Amino acid sequence: MKRALTKAAIMASMITASAPSAPSVAAAQIRGTRARFGTESGLLVLVEESHDLPLVDFQITLRTGSAHDPADRDGLSRFVARMIRMGTRNMSAPEVEEQIDSLGAQLSIETSPSYTRFAGSVIKRNLDPFMRLMGQLMARPAFRAADVAQVQRETIADIIDMRDNDRGLAAKHFREVLFGSHPYGRTVIGLQATVRAVTRDEVVRHYETHYVASNIVLGLAGDVNEAEARALVSRHFGALRTGAAPPDRVEPPAERPGRRVRIVDKPDRTQTQIFIGALGSRPLDPDHIALGVANTAFGGTFTARLMKEVRSERGWSYGAYSRLGADRQREAWYMWTFPAARDAVPCMRLELELLERLLTDGITEDELRFAESYLANSFAFDIDTAGERLEQRIEIELLGLPRDYYDRYVANVRAVTRDQANEALRHHLNAQNLAIVLVATARDLRPEVARLPHVTTVEVLPFDRD
Amino acid sequence: MATSSCATTPPMSSAQAQLVDKLNRSVRSRTARLQFVEEIALGGRMRLDRYRLGNGLGVLILVDRSAPVLSYQTWFKVGSRNEHEGKTGLAHLFEHLMFNETKHLHAGEFDRLLESAGGETNAATWVDWTMYYENLPASELPLVVRLEADRMVNLVLRDPQVTSEKEVVANERRYRVDDDVEGAVNERLYATAFRAHPYHWPTIGWMRDIQGFTTTDCRAFYRTYYAPNNATVVLVGDVDVEQALRLVQTHYGRLRPARLPRERPTTEPAQRAERRLEMRQPTPTEKLQLGFRAPPFGDYDHAVLTVANEILFGGRSSRLYRKLVSEGEIAADARASLAPFRDPGLYEVWVSLREGHTARQALTIVTQEFERLASRAVGSAELDKAKNRLELSFLQGLETAGGKAEQIGFYETVLGDPARIFGRLAEYRRVTPAEIQRVVRRVLDVRRRTTIVVLPGAGAPRPEGEEPHEEAAAE
Repeated sequence: MKRALTKAAIMASMITASAPSAPSVAAAQIRGTRARFGTESGLLVLVEESHDLPLVDFQITLRTGSAHDPADRDGLSRFVARMIRMGTRNMSAPEVEEQIDSLGAQLSIETSPSYTRFAGSVIKRNLDPFMRLMGQLMARPAFRAADVAQVQRETIADIIDMRDNDRGLAAKHFREVLFGSHPYGRTVIGLQATVRAVTRDEVVRHYETHYVASNIVLGLAGDVNEAEARALVSRHFGALRTGAAPPDRVEPPAERPGRRVRIVDKPDRTQTQIFIGALGSRPLDPDHIALGVANTAFGGTFTARLMKEVRSERGWSYGAYSRLGADRQREAWYMWTFPAARDAVPCMRLELELLERLLTDGITEDELRFAESYLANSFAFDIDTAGERLEQRIEIELLGLPRDYYDRYVANVRAVTRDQANEALRHHLNAQNLAIVLVATARDLRPEVARLPHVTTVEVLPFDRD
Repeated sequence: MATSSCATTPPMSSAQAQLVDKLNRSVRSRTARLQFVEEIALGGRMRLDRYRLGNGLGVLILVDRSAPVLSYQTWFKVGSRNEHEGKTGLAHLFEHLMFNETKHLHAGEFDRLLESAGGETNAATWVDWTMYYENLPASELPLVVRLEADRMVNLVLRDPQVTSEKEVVANERRYRVDDDVEGAVNERLYATAFRAHPYHWPTIGWMRDIQGFTTTDCRAFYRTYYAPNNATVVLVGDVDVEQALRLVQTHYGRLRPARLPRERPTTEPAQRAERRLEMRQPTPTEKLQLGFRAPPFGDYDHAVLTVANEILFGGRSSRLYRKLVSEGEIAADARASLAPFRDPGLYEVWVSLREGHTARQALTIVTQEFERLASRAVGSAELDKAKNRLELSFLQGLETAGGKAEQIGFYETVLGDPARIFGRLAEYRRVTPAEIQRVVRRVLDVRRRTTIVVLPGAGAPRPEGEEPHEEAAAE
């Protein structure tokens, strides 16, 4: 494999809003039949039709995630979502899994700082029984004490298992260093101590507060039409709890001063995972799209400046990308590289220089034109399947973006000027206030890392610290 | 969706044959003359047309108007199986080099042109093949045909590029293998289970081999394997077939076929006793990796074992996921897969234990469940569940133009028959409980097994990415 990441990953967080314009040609060509309706209970339903294959994708998304976990209960949102899968009063966890697999379905549960998502696919002929199952799980979870204990043991095992993944470790620690005590800095899965402390009452309270119809968006994409969707929702999701959606009280994160370095110390590393970053922007910021274009030019593609310098010219790292996250509050902007241990410090030094130069000189006119062309032309792959189109519509709902946001997307990207892109860079990013995280064998690197310019603190933590 | 598949010999008057006649009228060179070979029905709805250029280039086109995009893939019949000891990883290194300078393009221009057009391009190398793909807006077909034809024969190979790319590949190896517990163990599994066959060495190559390649090695590899008669172009998307074929004639028609080396098949001697290894890795918990010598992808028993694997490890309700993870609670993760190789490969099992539990415990449970499946016929509900899961996975593989092209290219390159995509689904549906018992008894036999137990702790000092010694495995 020539490169580690694909455009799907690059674009996952490129959510922007800007001035009105005509719909893109690609969007107009692809758009199929779609529907959007609400139920009396407040559930919002989105449908995106495509009858190419006898397959239906679904998503049930809550506007609640790890940023809403109570103090000292890191991981509660993920924990409760996992408990949903443990069954109802009439159905045990093994019976739930038996049904999912028997129906030719897949169910995955993902929690992020602001959302919890139950997503998957089912073969069309089993859509009705599968939606019945999902309706029961969402509305009538049992939350047995024995299951709470089992999920605690399982989650702790997962936390320990994740220590084998160097990149995952680096990403987790990067968020801690970048966001500090802000809720975005918490680990989604939680800590061993906080998971162990979860009680059944806390699970029930979290469920009763957040699993209400008005806090949920339900999406169906594929071989299903609006009439079928209405009937399915009416039959199987009528028992969802009603009531007001809980308010989102997450405050904007504060920039932390200085270049703060954390080395996650792991034995026998031949390679160093490096994350360097700062706070980015919010999708509702007027210059978020401009920052997205600038980021694409700098490190968003295989031929962008960062990859060219780190990989193409020096061969230091298999991958070298920068990413701009998107959430209700400012998310992370970061560079990710993974050079051989011997090249780690020179690579970091180069990345810091490149960032400083980016903020001083900005991107060039050629880079701007390239980034806009890439983002506009590749938009076709963000809407080439019903599942992708549904994904966009859910993002619009969750982030409160204008309903026609994606219709205007291509024109909005093309409208960004070089001055706007460079101003967005300077407005949001500060090369002196950075979180720098390495997963490495610390004794080999610590003295040199401390000598990097403007580093204010260097801490070393063992990789198996909770 | 219907699942029948068939290949039909074209009547002389078929629309495709008439189109080819029309396109050939203005062509003088034999290498540029097109031939319509066959029309292949894929399921009930899709129709794949096979053409061949005079220079031997295979062309498979599936018109798919579900979105204004295309996927263009080039599959070469060369992989790590075509390497030899001392030069392992050359096919993969070469895949990287293919994105460099050509006689007509500067270094980096290939990628820049495609990205500017909104394209995604990447490549993959495995034991039996190397494939390159571009996913693009449908309007960019002329660009991709031109670029792919160009790099098939016009690549410029110089020392600085080779040196730099070797370092990139060395870093890829550190990422995927040397600093990754599962990658390191899986590499050791194949090195232990195979002693004669090229499946013994990793596709990415041993580190010392990667570091030792010369520009001369790369040029020789290019001249030997990169030729139109060793490749198949797969095009899926919202395209005009006449335009596509005309572009293929224009850009590939001048390329000369190569004299391809005859592959000397290597037969791996039968394994008659278990091979065992212990490794130490910086990991918090024990791991268990098993590999059983298994049938090749084209064998019906491969389909049978795939169904058996669903019963054992497919989904959270599978027998071993329950015994090891959700109910047994001795593992954090447990999964298995069957290598889709042209020659017999491995059925691989991976278990990551929880703290306080041992790989030996997992091995006992896995062995018991294999024996249970071999001795007691699986019930119809459990068998239907496995088949439904495989059907879902099959459909998911066909959701995008890229997914369809990948299936077509893989079946064409490994089996020589893309119609078997749907034939495979039919095979799953045909599998009986008795067949599962027969195949499990035969394949999941301890005498065909390689067992690796990973213990937490510092690894034994070993040069970076060095090939393990044979004597490391006890038999």
